[in-house]
This record gives sequence, structure tokens and C-alpha cells, in this order.
Amino acid sequence: MARPGNKIIQAKMVLLGDMGTGKTSLVLRFVKGQFLDHQEPTIGAAFFTQILSLTEATVKFDIWDTAGQERYHSLAPMYYRGAAAAVVVYDISKMDTFTRAKKWVEELQRQGNSNLVMALVANKCDLEPKREVETEEGEQFAQENGMFYIETSAKTAENINELFYEIAKRLAKAFPSKPTGMNLNNEVRDRRKLSCCLG
Amino acid sequence: MYGAQSKRDLALEFQSQIPILRPSIHARRANLTVKFQDLYGFTVEGNVDDVNVLNEVREKVRKQGRVWWALEANKGANWYLEPSISEGIALKSSLKFSTLANAITLKRLIRNGIPPLLRPKVWFSLSGAAKKKSTVPESYYNDLTKAVEGKVTPATRQIDHDLPRTFPGHPWLDTPEGHAALRRVLVGYSFRDSDVGYCQGLNYVAALLLLVMKTEEDAFWMLAVLLENVLVNDCYTNNLSGCHVEQRVFKDLLAKKCPRIATHLEALDFDVSLVATEWFLCLFSKSLPSETALRVWDVLFYEGAKVLFHVALAFFKMKEDELLLTHHVGDVINILQKTTHHLFDPDDLLTVAFDKIGSMTTNTISKQRKKQEPAVMAELDQRLRRLNSLKLDDK
Repeated sequence: MARPGNKIIQAKMVLLGDMGTGKTSLVLRFVKGQFLDHQEPTIGAAFFTQILSLTEATVKFDIWDTAGQERYHSLAPMYYRGAAAAVVVYDISKMDTFTRAKKWVEELQRQGNSNLVMALVANKCDLEPKREVETEEGEQFAQENGMFYIETSAKTAENINELFYEIAKRLAKAFPSKPTGMNLNNEVRDRRKLSCCLG
Repeated sequence: MYGAQSKRDLALEFQSQIPILRPSIHARRANLTVKFQDLYGFTVEGNVDDVNVLNEVREKVRKQGRVWWALEANKGANWYLEPSISEGIALKSSLKFSTLANAITLKRLIRNGIPPLLRPKVWFSLSGAAKKKSTVPESYYNDLTKAVEGKVTPATRQIDHDLPRTFPGHPWLDTPEGHAALRRVLVGYSFRDSDVGYCQGLNYVAALLLLVMKTEEDAFWMLAVLLENVLVNDCYTNNLSGCHVEQRVFKDLLAKKCPRIATHLEALDFDVSLVATEWFLCLFSKSLPSETALRVWDVLFYEGAKVLFHVALAFFKMKEDELLLTHHVGDVINILQKTTHHLFDPDDLLTVAFDKIGSMTTNTISKQRKKQEPAVMAELDQRLRRLNSLKLDDK
């Protein structure tokens, strides 16, 4: 829940990555705590909201979950423009999704937003026997590119809250403290948005 | 689907709020969620009022069927299939009065809806699919599916990945039989047009075509005519350039037809393409209840791609007052999503789409597309060059 007197950060977050890496599943796990074996492919993008409260700030996420198929790439700038955080996702059991993830990171860096909080997410870590991308490879790439690395499974919920919690923490650090405006307070009263995912 | 908040979760939220809000009996009734199957087998969750609306829609569909049968009895079976009538609108000047009258009747009839039983036949003829099919040997589709059997391409891999994810839970589509049929149509098409190959979004479109058309082969031809003749070129090819063009045209139309909303959304820094892209690529199959989406398709196959603009503009027009009160992008999206998902009565939508939005000729829209094309191409080209320069840096 939003703590009174806390600073409120409205943050746009975008998810990028190859098709079938589990972008929508990650978000649905975070926002609704649910997982579907057969998640419908996203066309264009899907929009979600979620609120995370930390001791230092309350972060209100506007989440854009984008379509993964290569040809949808041309739509991506519309979704990552102005984003405060970007989550680049790959599937540990498919090497080509890691290659694609690297390209996304390079493209994001070209946007010239040095404050952009970036996470490299190695998803489907429940598929360990089928692993094609080693942890070290992911970690190293993340480190070289100033991102944080995390292995998740939307299926088992492993590290999902940790991922978004870490992003929220980094956003709180990156955003200077500012007074909360009327507008923000009004929105906090909107009950539906207050379903907190922590815990 | 944008903001894919499942209706079930919404219902749970409503229920959890009941003790706090102590709503009136009426509100309590309205919040009671029931699950049922619609005309095309999709599971719908709605409140009691939604169920009533759907029952009314069923009754209207029956009534509309009687209108079609009566006309057949009067004018002869297949009266609307004569080329001079089905193409009548374009040929107006050279036609006899009776033919013209028939063409006008047909246009109005189609806007009022084609009965589900007649849909396969009427769509197949009026869309041009029948004509397209008649230009190739009778065995084309069978030969094509046999020839591509067992072939593996990037497109087939993506199709296989998406089969179980296309309308999961549907009583026919989500069965081995349904998957196999959808696969043959999509794979067949990916070989017919390798520029399109497979584009996500087509899975939903082809699935709905399969549900409507009597045979898989007819569904294939409907997909072909849709991509090759009805819609603007390159909607689904490599960088979706056609889709980008449509989005720009749509923005211009919104500014013209709903100027207050357009100004308000601009102030919120809300780009309508954020939500409209999915509408145009899935032809509303993911956002509207099935019968409503198919009513849009009835008109789409007869009047052409401009219908998509009419319908998309109608969503904004219907909710003008509410949209003008929004302060946040999320609220805009929630309103639009709730609106589209609950449009159980197709007439509510089509009345606004055609009567309130006013006429737009295919000609005007073609001109606007031409106007936007260079800008879209330049933008995509610039982007490509920037991405290529990224690759060069790698070396």
C-alpha cells in the first residue's frame, strides 16, 4: 500500500524480447499472480499497471508489454520512447533469443537515455535440462552493459517479485525526490490500482 | 490484446469490493458474473445485462435471417451474387435502375448483418474470393497443402509455436483437429506469399475465418483475398509498412472526425497507435465479441478496408465524454478496452460507425494513404540505417 508522505514515482516500463520468451507471462505473474500454459501472442502491445511500495518510495508502473515477432520491431520505438525502465527478456533454452536480446540492448543504448534502468531477464529457468544459454554468458553481457541480471520463471514465479522490486529500487534511487501533486494523489485513491503484489 | 486484464479477475475484484461498497441490489445484480458460450463457441464472461443483450442479439440475427430469406423468395436465390449487383456500387452510372436499387438494398442489408448461415456463401462471393479461386486449377489448395507438408521454414516454426496459443480453450480451435486445420491454412499461405510468410495476428484472423467458412479451403481463399485485395498492401510484410500507413491515416481521421478527443489525447501524450495497431492487424478479432467482430467483417468484405477506420473511430466517438475526463494514459486504455470487450450488440457499434462518423469514401482514404506513404518509408528507412550502423559498430 502507498505509505503516506512517501514520494510517488510514475514510471513507464517496457518489455522487449523475442517471441515466445514469456514477456506477457512475466507481466501477468507480476500483476495478477497468474500463469497460463498457452498465453496468446501479443499483437502490437499490451498495457498493464501495477504499484510497488518500498520504504523509500511508491512506484506506479505503466507497463508496455510488446509483441516479440521480428517484424513488429518497427513498432517498438513508440513503446520504449520515454520509458524509465526496460526489461529485455530471453529464453534460457533458446540461444537465438539471447542473440536477439543483445540487439535490443544495443538499440536501447542508442536512445541516449543514460538514466534508463535496464534489466536482462533470463526467463524459463525452470527449463534447466534444456538450457542453451549459460548463466555466466548472461551475467557477463549484463555487466558489460550496465544492466542487472536475473534468472526468472514466470511458470514457477521464481524471482518475479525480486525482478520488479529491484527495478523499483533502482528507479527510486534514480528519481530525485519531489512533492506529490494532486493528480497523483487522486490516482492513489483508485482502489483497483492498489492491489499490491509484494508478499 | 492491450491491457489484457481478464474479465474473471475484474469480477473477483468487484466481488471483493461488495462488502465495502454495499451496492444497491441492482448494482449487485449487474456485478454478478456468469460464463457462457457465444454463437461461435467463445467463452464469454459478463453480467446479467450482457447475457440479456446477447439474447436480444440472437433474436435480431433470426429476424435478419427472415429478411434475407424473404428477399431470396422475392428476387430469386443468389440475387445478390450477380456481378452487376455485387460490384454495383462502383459501376453505378451504367446500371439499370433495378440493378442500382438492388445494390443499394444489398449495401443496407449487409450493414444490418449477414445471417451466420449465409455468411460463408455471401462472403465468398462478395469479397472476390470466389473469383480468385476460379483463376487457378480446382486442385490448387490440395496441391499446395500436399506440396508443403513436412517442410520446415522460419514461418512454419512460428506457426507451430502459435497454434496452441490461438484462442486457447475454444471447443474446436483448441483441438488437434482445429490446430491441424489452422496450420494448413497458415502454412499454405506462407508459401503462397513468401513476403508475408507468417505474421502474428494472422493466426487470429485465420482462426475466425475457419469458424465462419464451411470449408478449410474457403477459409484459405478468404485469407488470400483479404491480404491481396481487401486490405492495404504490406500490412503484414517484413516491417508492417502498410500498417504504419494506416495508423497515420487513422490519426488524421481522428483529428478530423473527433477533434476534441484528438486534442485531449495529444495533451496526454497518448499516441492512438499504441492501441489501434492491434485492432487493425487482428481486424478486431481479439478485441470485440465474436458476432460483433464478424458484423464488422460483413461490411469489410463488401465495402473495403475503410470500414476499419469507421469502427476504430466509433470506439472514440462512443466514449467521447468519458475520454475527455481522463488524466492518464492508463485510464484511456481501460475505457477503450472495457468498451470494446462489452460491445455485445453489434448495432450499437455499427450505428455509430456509419451514421455518426459520417461518410468517408475509399477514394479520399486512398489519397490520404498516398500522402502518408513517403513519410512512413523515410521513417522506416532511417530506422533501418540506424540499426545497420549498430551492426557495423559490432565489427
